[in-house]
Amino acid sequence: MPVWQVALVLNLTFAVGLGLGYAGWGRRAEALDREFDAARAQVERLERERAACAPGGRAGEQQWEGRGVVRAVYPRLLIITHEEIRGLLPARTTSFRPASPTLPGTIRVGDPIRFSLRGTLADDAAVVAIERW
Amino acid sequence: MRALLLTALWSHLASSVLLVGAFFMLLLAGPPRATTARRWDGTVVAGARLLVLVALGSGIVWLLVRTAVFENRPHAALEPRAVWHAVLDTWPGLVWLARHGLLVVLAAFLAIRANVADSRNWIAARGEALVLAMLALALVSGSSHAAAITPGTLSAVAVDVAHLLGTGVWLGGLVALAPLLRAASREAGADARPYAVLAARRFSRAALIAMLLLMASGVMNALAQVESIAGLAGTTHGRLLLAKLAVLAPILVLAAVNRTRILPALSAPDATVGRSAMRRLTAFVGLEAVLALVLLALAAAMTLTTPARHGEPVWPLPFRLSPDVLRDVPATRWRALLGSQLAIAGVVALIASLVVRRRRAPVLAGALALVAVGAGVGLPPLVVDAYPTTYKRPLVTYHAGSIASGMATYREHCAACHGATGAGDGRPLPDLRSAPTSRRHAGELFWLVSRGGPGHGMPAFEGRLSEAQRWHVINFIRALGAAEGSKTIGRQVELDRAWLIAPDFTVAVGPLAPGALRDHRGRRLVLLVLYTLPDSRARMTELARSYDVLSVIGVEIVAVPTHASPEAIAELGASPPVLFPIVTDGNADIVETYRMFAPGPHAELLIDRQGYIRAIWRGETGRMPQASAVQAQVEKLNEEKSPPPFPDDHVH
Repeated sequence: MPVWQVALVLNLTFAVGLGLGYAGWGRRAEALDREFDAARAQVERLERERAACAPGGRAGEQQWEGRGVVRAVYPRLLIITHEEIRGLLPARTTSFRPASPTLPGTIRVGDPIRFSLRGTLADDAAVVAIERW
Repeated sequence: MRALLLTALWSHLASSVLLVGAFFMLLLAGPPRATTARRWDGTVVAGARLLVLVALGSGIVWLLVRTAVFENRPHAALEPRAVWHAVLDTWPGLVWLARHGLLVVLAAFLAIRANVADSRNWIAARGEALVLAMLALALVSGSSHAAAITPGTLSAVAVDVAHLLGTGVWLGGLVALAPLLRAASREAGADARPYAVLAARRFSRAALIAMLLLMASGVMNALAQVESIAGLAGTTHGRLLLAKLAVLAPILVLAAVNRTRILPALSAPDATVGRSAMRRLTAFVGLEAVLALVLLALAAAMTLTTPARHGEPVWPLPFRLSPDVLRDVPATRWRALLGSQLAIAGVVALIASLVVRRRRAPVLAGALALVAVGAGVGLPPLVVDAYPTTYKRPLVTYHAGSIASGMATYREHCAACHGATGAGDGRPLPDLRSAPTSRRHAGELFWLVSRGGPGHGMPAFEGRLSEAQRWHVINFIRALGAAEGSKTIGRQVELDRAWLIAPDFTVAVGPLAPGALRDHRGRRLVLLVLYTLPDSRARMTELARSYDVLSVIGVEIVAVPTHASPEAIAELGASPPVLFPIVTDGNADIVETYRMFAPGPHAELLIDRQGYIRAIWRGETGRMPQASAVQAQVEKLNEEKSPPPFPDDHVH
């Protein structure tokens, strides 16, 4: 076989090897990363749904736990400066609807609290439990 | 161990570079016809076979020694599991594997004793070897210092690849060219002389391009890896680079002589003259190649040292040049201006001396004299004292906690001499609040605080204060100077005049995970409110009511009560609700620091998105602005066309 043909075959082998390597492993690794992220999000969601499976829970509801400081208390609204609520909201000040008007109880402005939210989305999540931290 | 690592790396790098140059030179010279030229072709290919083995062998030694260094156990070099781990589980190991795979393929390719009498086969054989050698060399960048640069990794690696390949073409080509010139300069090699002259001419052109590429990529590499004059002169990495430049200078002189004097002489009609020129060219090319191998050893040593930008510079000289002197001593401006103009005239004359053909020597001498006189006149006024720690990086950030701690240390150890305000209180001491003190490098203040000033009665605090405490004091001195300057900052934002860095602080609201002022950088403006109840209550109510509007236009309010209390949020009451962050922990540090800029029971400071204080409302609550006035200043900042760069977290 002439040398120029050997060189050509060698270069083609390199090119095909690189292409197959990327197609076989590179893309597979990216797909696995995406699958892993999706599976983790699904597990977290299922855990929150399981936590929400208390009496009175509706289908598709999830439960989130948060920690914060009470900034304002109204019968139908609680304003809380909270840490990140995993899977729902970043750390910020947010207004939440209490599940019942009597829920805030003796909670006052400035109190550090732990609270539970239940709902399907951030918009309809209501505070279902609250206690001083 | 380090010497062995350096030797292995140098051997590996040199053999990889020579391989590229060998095949580049063969292709550049073209298929050989004359007997001597064919013999040279065979010698170069035989040498390349040896070089591949050296590259593989030294690469394996390098891997083993590196494994031992990483594992911190000499025996790890002989443990297959440790070596396997170093190859497969680390990025440099994977790059090593890819490179050595290519070298093995190249070795196998060169081992084939194929018939290359036909030009097409000869070009294919040499071209394929060049491609494989270039790939193996270029991949070195994949695990070099350039690969660690972020952001811009891709461009840094591309520049490094260009530098490596340029080295391969130039240095490797030189080494391959030398035996051809030597053979052709002999009586027996006369048949190859036209071929050698053609090869030398072609190489001269290629080497010029390669050298320009090397210099451009070298400058870009230096800018990325060294970053500063302090890094260049004060770190091992920087000094190795200076040594490289020192070796490069004679190489450039030799190359210029070769190109301008010897190459034209090769084509002299008299065969004897041409032969003697060829002998001289052989000697010069050989010398150039030896110097280039020294250059490569320095480059290998650089890859084993921490890049200057990450190193701690130790300034080697007792002085440095500072243009700040021109601001502090106006009388020196004329002298510096005169010196700079003379030097510029000298540089222009220097360029002219390269262009003119007649009277070049006197023009060159005059140009050099002008540059020397210009430097002699203009530089001395810029000289200021410098110390080994001049460019030392502070241990602690410019943070309210550090400034407050420095303030306490200052009161205990420094105020007796320098006065409570830093003004010296009548003593003949430098005013610590003055602009010249503020312009001194933090590392210089660190040296003076640590070692004292023997001539001025300043004691050394190295043994009395920890390093962190000394840096806290320096942060406080910086804040003193900043506070003095901040008197010019008032209630109106001055556009495009951002200079007063807002010291960072911790924003702790109740027991929640704390944030920091710098978390808002690049995102929101901050209105920092220092308040005292009950006097500030009306103002806090007004701010609570206008929070929605301010929030919409990009402002976050951070309120700090001057008296720390865990009940601070409750004390503000429930109506209207105060929804912005109220700092309930670490207040004392923030209040002490920011009161240096804005004293009084109530003050408000507007901090822009970059982290600079742009407006200050000082004093009583009655003098505080209406919400609309704050909005007007915020809108001015929102319309600012060219925001300043983010300030560094450390003082300089």
